[in-house]
Amino acid sequence: MTTLDAPAERTLTLRETGPATRGTRPDEVVIAVSPAFGDPFTQTIVGVPHAEVLRQLMAGIEEQGVGVRVVRVWGTADLAAVSHIAARLSGSGVSVGLLSRGTAMIHQKDLPRLSNLELFPQSPLLDAPVFRAIGSNAAQYAKGQSPQPVPTRNDQMARPRWQAKAALLHLKEFECIRADAGPVELEVTISR
Amino acid sequence: MTAAAPRPAQQTRRSLRTETLEARPVNLDGFVEEWPEKGLVAMESDFDPQPSVRVEDGVITELDGRSRADFDFMDSFIADHAIDVATTEASMALPSVQIARMLIDPGVSRAEVIAVTRGLTPAKVLDVVKLMNVVEIMQGMQKMRARRTPANQAHSTSARDNPLQVAVDAAEGALRGFAELETTLGVVRYAPLVAIALQVGGQVGRGGVLTQCALEEATELELGMRGITAYAETISIYGTESVFVDGDDTPWSKTFLASAYASRGIKMRFTSGTGSEVQMGNAEGRSMLYLEIRCILMAKGAGVQGLQNGSISCIGVPGAVPGGIRAVAAENLVASMMDLECASGNDQSFSHSAMRRTARMLPQLLPGTDFVCSGYSAVPNSDNMFAGSNFDTDDYDDWNTIQRDLQVDGGLRHVREPEILAVRAKAARVLQALFEYLELPRITDDEVEAATYANSSNDYPFRDVLADLTGAQQVMDRGVTGLDLVRGLEATGFHDVAENLLTVLRQRVSGDLLQTAAVLTADFTPLSAINDANDYAGPGTGYRLQGERWEELKKLRHVTSATDPETEVD
Repeated sequence: MTTLDAPAERTLTLRETGPATRGTRPDEVVIAVSPAFGDPFTQTIVGVPHAEVLRQLMAGIEEQGVGVRVVRVWGTADLAAVSHIAARLSGSGVSVGLLSRGTAMIHQKDLPRLSNLELFPQSPLLDAPVFRAIGSNAAQYAKGQSPQPVPTRNDQMARPRWQAKAALLHLKEFECIRADAGPVELEVTISR
Repeated sequence: MTAAAPRPAQQTRRSLRTETLEARPVNLDGFVEEWPEKGLVAMESDFDPQPSVRVEDGVITELDGRSRADFDFMDSFIADHAIDVATTEASMALPSVQIARMLIDPGVSRAEVIAVTRGLTPAKVLDVVKLMNVVEIMQGMQKMRARRTPANQAHSTSARDNPLQVAVDAAEGALRGFAELETTLGVVRYAPLVAIALQVGGQVGRGGVLTQCALEEATELELGMRGITAYAETISIYGTESVFVDGDDTPWSKTFLASAYASRGIKMRFTSGTGSEVQMGNAEGRSMLYLEIRCILMAKGAGVQGLQNGSISCIGVPGAVPGGIRAVAAENLVASMMDLECASGNDQSFSHSAMRRTARMLPQLLPGTDFVCSGYSAVPNSDNMFAGSNFDTDDYDDWNTIQRDLQVDGGLRHVREPEILAVRAKAARVLQALFEYLELPRITDDEVEAATYANSSNDYPFRDVLADLTGAQQVMDRGVTGLDLVRGLEATGFHDVAENLLTVLRQRVSGDLLQTAAVLTADFTPLSAINDANDYAGPGTGYRLQGERWEELKKLRHVTSATDPETEVD
């Protein structure tokens, strides 16, 4: 595992446009990002720019002909909670939850909070193609299909290299939580 | 400081030595700065509480600066169940330095130390071990370990969940000396077949080996009650109320689970370790070791005989901060000084550096613990479904050589290849016959042949996974028990294996394996803190690697013969 080379610089702008609302389109996926996503953090634990993460996820969803909305959850940095809140906002009931370090989950509103459709727990192993595949699968669930799960990767040496940094990033993300702020709608601008 | 930015490309010319050092495996490991306010600190933190205790009318009303009205449920549980109310005020009055010296003084017996430690609060225990360097921690462990004879435990798993691989590697592991064998799954539904394979394979390698299958708690308990496994270990506990609650658990629910095992005479221990709370973001500003000491006292209060600790699956966290491996050694010592069996970690991938991997285990190997590794990978790490161990099958010869170099007993031995091939072949044939008897998916002769000579799961023919999963479900639906396995082994002509397994199952009637640190010898004698109590009292006492066992450990794969230097000792 080495740090990924950052692709050409893209800038990510996330502008809050108001409280997140429940979607009515049955063919949409809601992506929910955690409190520190994009600001103050700008990349995942292995240096995938947040701009690239969102770009790939959104492209993966749109390629399936499914709509996408992006929200930020302020009240928690617990991936299951972030994802489940988004699922309940999603018109299709399907969501992708995302932590700043890259950990991701596909969730569905009728599942228990601590369950999920697909979980990608090893953030150091998630690169651009995986994020695209996650978007694609989420969109297929939204269409009522049963896609093959995105192949999970396993690297036994991820622990010695990344575990403590993951803990540190988690603690920093926790500091960005605004306990009494509800989820907000985001307008996403990715330059280039 | 916390920026995740990749290191900027070096513009200036670098020294060739720096380039060499940059390429060393140790620089693939992750290291972080301490952040004590959030608990990202090993054991020296200004944010840990100061020791204190107050007893009124036989009840602890103050614990480490907190009065009962402010107790969280960990404080309540520890105050009401772990600390000896009758002696706590006297024990707490002793200066910490005096208790630390008692721990390393050969003139003070283990029992005398425990008479004091049973009255200590978590902060006081921390205050004591903070005074000790790693050599003193090892000295303490040498005396405080519960069982006189050290032992070792293995993981036997398969990346393909192939029951045949688990059985033959269990057999080889048992032959090499592991006293306990543990498995877990990639695909959980495979569990009944793999647990059966482990149980049966282990008894082929050496009668009396104890086995367990790490699963979701209800299934793990059911397999234990059915006699398909012999003990349990993966019952996790945590040092803060918030992390406990996150897992929908409390100290009382874990204690209830422990009593369910005890009610059937099944050996069990809890699992905890430094780093888990900060990893989950809820360390409540306490150091990793302080929180682990709370876990250890909680385990004691629950009445379980032992604990697996030594950071375990969070080892990357203490491993990344200053003094972290000292804290890990200290948490093992604290489990032992609380009179618990200690299965002391070294069971998860820890470092890219072979030198660091070795240094990390010396504080357990050198003094000896109840289980030096609570999961040495008896399969290649690529097959290790616990996400890799600190040591695996590639390290067998290194481990044996270190035992011989330092004359220490790490629980393993070198075994000649013909003996290994014989038990592997037998384990494969036994499982083949048993599967046929139980009408489970067939194991072919080709598979038996491959299993005999295999290294990893890649060396086996593919199995029909769907058929195996159906078979696994049938094991559960038909209510297959350990006794059915015994019956099948007897009916298929493997009387000796049947006898071994039956004898292990009978232990739950006698209850001998409920004693602290119990294991079974090859002749089925239970060895525990009752009949094999650690009696270390300085040089020349306690467990010594000598006699027949030392002769056994002098053997390696290649030793030049002194009588005929043109040959090697067989």
